[in-house]
Amino acid sequence: MQAYIIRRVLLNFLVIFLVATFVFLALRIDTSTVVNRAAGSCIGGQAGNGQAGAEECRKIVRAQLGLDTSLPKQYWDYMTGLIQGDLGHSFKSQNAVLGEIKDRAGPTIELGILQIIVAIVIATPVGIISAVRQDSWIDYFLRFFSIFFLGIPVFVVAIITIVLTARYGGGTLSDWFGPHSDYASLTSDPAKNIKAMLAPALIGGLGTGAVIMRFLRSQMLEVLRQDYVRTAWSKGLRERAIIVRHALKNALIPVLTLIGILLGGIVSGNVVLESIYTIPGIGNYVVFAVAQNPDFPVIQGVVIVVAVTLVFINLLVDITYGWLDPRIRYS
Amino acid sequence: MAQESAIPAVTPAAPETAAPRRGSAWRGIWKFIRKKPLGAIGFAIVGFLLLATIGVPKASFGWPSLPDRPLGFELGSPILQRYSPEQNFYNARGRVRSFESPSSNHWLGTDKSGRDVWARIVNGARRSLFVAVWALVLATALGAGIGVVSGYFGKWMDTVIQRLMDALQSFPPLIALILIVTINPLTSGPNLFVIAIALGLVGIPSVQRIVRSVVLATREQQYVEAARTIGATDLRTMRYYIIPNIMASIIIVFSTGIGVAILAESTLGFIAPDKLPEGPSWGIMLSDAYPVIVDHPGPGLAAAGAIALAVLGFNLAGDALRDVLDPRLRLG
Repeated sequence: MQAYIIRRVLLNFLVIFLVATFVFLALRIDTSTVVNRAAGSCIGGQAGNGQAGAEECRKIVRAQLGLDTSLPKQYWDYMTGLIQGDLGHSFKSQNAVLGEIKDRAGPTIELGILQIIVAIVIATPVGIISAVRQDSWIDYFLRFFSIFFLGIPVFVVAIITIVLTARYGGGTLSDWFGPHSDYASLTSDPAKNIKAMLAPALIGGLGTGAVIMRFLRSQMLEVLRQDYVRTAWSKGLRERAIIVRHALKNALIPVLTLIGILLGGIVSGNVVLESIYTIPGIGNYVVFAVAQNPDFPVIQGVVIVVAVTLVFINLLVDITYGWLDPRIRYS
Repeated sequence: MAQESAIPAVTPAAPETAAPRRGSAWRGIWKFIRKKPLGAIGFAIVGFLLLATIGVPKASFGWPSLPDRPLGFELGSPILQRYSPEQNFYNARGRVRSFESPSSNHWLGTDKSGRDVWARIVNGARRSLFVAVWALVLATALGAGIGVVSGYFGKWMDTVIQRLMDALQSFPPLIALILIVTINPLTSGPNLFVIAIALGLVGIPSVQRIVRSVVLATREQQYVEAARTIGATDLRTMRYYIIPNIMASIIIVFSTGIGVAILAESTLGFIAPDKLPEGPSWGIMLSDAYPVIVDHPGPGLAAAGAIALAVLGFNLAGDALRDVLDPRLRLG
């Protein structure tokens, strides 16, 4: 077990190293666009006009952005910084990227956790009922409901909700379900914060819940066919005890892994909802950094942070899996 | 498949050959609709999308380009459209007829610049579909190729490839997509083929993972062992014994992936419309309509509905296909 964890941690570091290298190289394919855009504000200024002035500007900007040294030197600086926990400074704001990410991590994590809670609260009863009452009308209805939310993109659900509540919902509903221009953190103004989080949490939670529900249903169906469940029935136990204590407990183990994997994806999964509901999270931050004038350190930083959370949550999930189900053996 | 081929063997042989065959095809379709109603809805939606892409082809051949020449010959304007997607309509006073409600002329109304929304949706279908198809061609070709190699050879090759795939999969997909499209060293402006390539690259790890797991199971089959015992080379074993037996899984991955690619392409259009070439695209339509969507919901809801319907259709069709071809396959 110990050897397994050590090996996995080492492999995780290898993966993170590869991710960091890929994103570094990808961004260095073409640096001219970034330099030209940044040089735009300097041309005509202190460096003078004309072709020579523009060239001079580019030189200054390259030095400012740290793009004037050779590629191996840049890579070395970047990697040594990374090992010391320094993700560099944003091109645009000049602030340390790690600090900027920390400021924006709160809303993203909060939204992700709320979504998972909504998803579990909806999916657990729905998944159990539709497995226990397999092929009844209620099963068909619940399965259609889940396939519907699985298939329909969250931003489409969000937009339709906004339109419907704004046009037909009256003041309160549209106030609760529309996008908010002002956002307050959970600690400074909890009421306002919950108001801003409610709609994206519910909508994202429905989408995630659909995935969990389908998976839980298939797991329950599998477990309900097992011998020990039949034994429980023949012992004359009540339905409730069989389903909750015998079946659900075993069906939940793989579902927990799925929930863990979904948790790993929350940082990157909410980009669209964050931008629709103007939540100042990591998704919003990185989309801005990528789509506008590419801000290299920000892109590198977010990609690395996302990769780190992803691989370590996966490791945690695998360890928990073995702890919950002793039949699993690591190799 | 196996069931259907068993039916003629059980039923007493009929003297005529042509007529019952046609009847059994219809009966097969009817049986499918009854047994998998959701799958049938999915195939109906996919069929309608394909219908929307059909135009009267022109004899102008050349390298495939998107959106007008996706298969190497030029597709004419879609037969389902009534007006050109770029035509602006004016009223008697010379004003743009913007945000009109649906009418018998404009089935889905008009957008801000007075263009026919139905025509834009139909043209958007062609664009989304072919971008997705080309993306999946790339993703399945490369992903399945890498998956077969890593699954078949195993050992250090597998370890190295799996770690590389882990690294690629740790990239947030949407961000990787925007990044590739922004860097784009191939063309000067936004280009649909570059978007298809980007979508394909982002999709490689998930395809590779599924294919690899299927290959791992297939490799242990006795017929593969037999082939190796009689001296088949690795290449021959892969080509004639492994690949034919994983084709079903590849087809399922391909069809399910198209829905994912359509969703990703329209999400990209919605988030960063300037990264896509101009023209009728569902994502760009939604992004254009979004600022005024509460006052004029028509065009926005039409685009949102089209995206939702297409993604839902491919999901349902892919699910049904999996149930029929390979129920044990685990996706994602």
